[in-house]
Amino acid sequence: MPPVKRKLFNLDQYQVPRGKVQIISERCKGCSLCLEYCPNKVLAWSTDYNFKGYRYPVLEETEEKYCISCRFCEEVCPDFAIYVTTELTAKPQSTQGK
Amino acid sequence: MTRLGVFICHCGKNIARTVDTEALREKAATLPHVVLAKDYLYLCSKPGQTMIADDIREHHLDRVLVAACSPRLHGKTFAQTAQRAGLNPYLLDMANIREQCSWVHIDGAEGTEKAFSIIKGGLGRLLYAEPLEPFQSPVTKRVLVIGGGIAGIQAALDIANSGYEVYLVEKLPSLGGHMAQLGETFPTLDCSSCILTPKMVEVSQNEHVHLLSYSEVTGIEGNIGQFQVTVRLRPRYVDETLCTGCGDCVPTCPVVVPNEFDQGLGARKAVYLPFPQAVPAVYTIDWDACLNTDKLIICENCYKNCEAGAINFLMEPQEKMFEVGAVVLATGYELMPVAHIGEYGGDGYEDVIDGLQFERMLSASGPTGGVVRRPSDGRIPQNVVFVQCSGSRDPEHGIPYCSKVCCMYTAKHALLYKHAVPDGQAYVFYIDIRAAGKGHEEFVQKVMSEERILYLRGKVSKIFKSGAKLVVWGADTLSGRQVEIEADLVVLAMAVIPSSGSQKLARTLHIASDLSGFFSEAHPKLRPLESNTDGIFLAGAAQFAKDITDTVSQATGAAGKALSLLANDFIKLEPTISGVEEGLCRGCGLCVSICPFGAVKMLPSTRTGAMVAGINPILCKGCGLCAAGCLSGAITLKGSSFKQIFAQLEEMV
Repeated sequence: MPPVKRKLFNLDQYQVPRGKVQIISERCKGCSLCLEYCPNKVLAWSTDYNFKGYRYPVLEETEEKYCISCRFCEEVCPDFAIYVTTELTAKPQSTQGK
Repeated sequence: MTRLGVFICHCGKNIARTVDTEALREKAATLPHVVLAKDYLYLCSKPGQTMIADDIREHHLDRVLVAACSPRLHGKTFAQTAQRAGLNPYLLDMANIREQCSWVHIDGAEGTEKAFSIIKGGLGRLLYAEPLEPFQSPVTKRVLVIGGGIAGIQAALDIANSGYEVYLVEKLPSLGGHMAQLGETFPTLDCSSCILTPKMVEVSQNEHVHLLSYSEVTGIEGNIGQFQVTVRLRPRYVDETLCTGCGDCVPTCPVVVPNEFDQGLGARKAVYLPFPQAVPAVYTIDWDACLNTDKLIICENCYKNCEAGAINFLMEPQEKMFEVGAVVLATGYELMPVAHIGEYGGDGYEDVIDGLQFERMLSASGPTGGVVRRPSDGRIPQNVVFVQCSGSRDPEHGIPYCSKVCCMYTAKHALLYKHAVPDGQAYVFYIDIRAAGKGHEEFVQKVMSEERILYLRGKVSKIFKSGAKLVVWGADTLSGRQVEIEADLVVLAMAVIPSSGSQKLARTLHIASDLSGFFSEAHPKLRPLESNTDGIFLAGAAQFAKDITDTVSQATGAAGKALSLLANDFIKLEPTISGVEEGLCRGCGLCVSICPFGAVKMLPSTRTGAMVAGINPILCKGCGLCAAGCLSGAITLKGSSFKQIFAQLEEMV
């Protein structure tokens, strides 16, 4: 039997930052840097195209995969097409790490 | 003309039972160069030693053979006797006719014959012995203490309070060790942190203590009195001198992982203080969990929130080198992983936990705030089964020994559980109750009689899950029945094993450990605080499983041993080390690569200037490997030269 992963008793005492990803799709040129570098992999490609003819990132969050507001996408986007607003209220849903 | 003296010991009946000492004496007296042969009941006794010393003077003996026990036991005793009589102690040798002869033989005739052969060999060896003088080496008045649990803290405090400098090296971010994790201690139910944390603060504030936390000893060279130590300081990514311990970095950290200090039952962030009372009270970034890597800084949330500017993602490991005169090893223990016992679920069930996990639940500052809960659903368990000797006294799982503390802490666990959940039922499976300490038996008896806890004498054969409950199959050997208990929570008193990394450390320090991996003491009865390497002392559970009381006693003892060494400005070192005959050395350098202690270096000869081998007498341990490996026979191990060894062999065969 593989070792069990126990739930953490005091998880609800911890707060984690939760970000809201804002995407300005018209500015995007589909370079994929944000998708590549997002540590929690909350971004995915859109199904349609922006007016420049590129696919752009869209948010795809789940219970376990949500924006942790590291704002690295902001940092790497060459076209200022993505930014993050932060709220600090979220409770961690599960454990994570590298 | 050589004048040899032979003294044969009866060792009470230890030797005389198998070896005919009188016949041996008569035969030995006829050997060449022997001018005196005597036998005596106990040569190591005061009259025995006086007899040897008197005979050396009276009969002008210039070489003496003592046929008795192993030189490991009384080599020093008789060397001192020789010295008192004015004879160079290296001209007195011992022939071991006890451990290597009388103890391993039953037949008297055979034993006597073998003893004679050993004596003949010893005399042959003695004929080529040369007088040697011990040399002096200065003592560095500093001590290295490895391990920052209660043993290391106590040893460091005792040494520092005597005015000597101490380097205290701890692997984890905080001092405290396992004692910091405990809720209450047996048998008095003292609050563990309340008695430990003041000591942690005291040791960190002592002006003589250099605290190196989050660090590991990676190298030790040298000898008693002069150890060159290399310590690797792992990067905390938080500047210890700037961090104020405010904790502003924590809320914005997005990574939550299990806290090792809570035995995986509680949470912590990637930037964390293991527990609120941690010393030093500075935060650490767990680089394995942090989103950042050495190549890429992804998240700067903690950095942005640190007003003190203490966070530095570019921090690198550092090496610190210093010299000490003595080392105290206090690396402690850990519990055998539950995963090792397949019958108990192999750590596959959430509600089967080990003793330290239960301890964290009982702790008021633990993840449940001192409330006993089931890890699976958080409910308060109504039936709790405690299993003693989980892994201990169980050679099938590789642990033949008794872990010593489990009987006591299980009784404490059951008691505290009953106090917390008065209507709950606690069961304890045990093989025997071993409560030999002061107040221990009384404590267990009180728990058994007053607390309505069911003690079942027998082992648990299997634990498995049935719905939300666990089923425990065990034997009750007193009633002779098989028992099946439906439990909400099972607590396994897992075997105490040496802490991981202690084997690596043993290799670094060139010290021995026993079959179970605990560090070996120099003598089980008379030198329990010393390792088999001079100047390295043992404290706490690194030597064997023991409770806090014994650990503190041993730590204070080890500190005393280190202090009595430091009280000397110089110590005498054994001259039985390698020496090089420069004229014979061909300068091939083979010995340099052979020496396991780095004691041989190629140096220009003082006479010819050619590169020849040179031995550092401080580093040389006298193992003789270089002498055996030397292609031109230029290296001699003093006190065991080839001439001596071959003469011994020739006489024996």
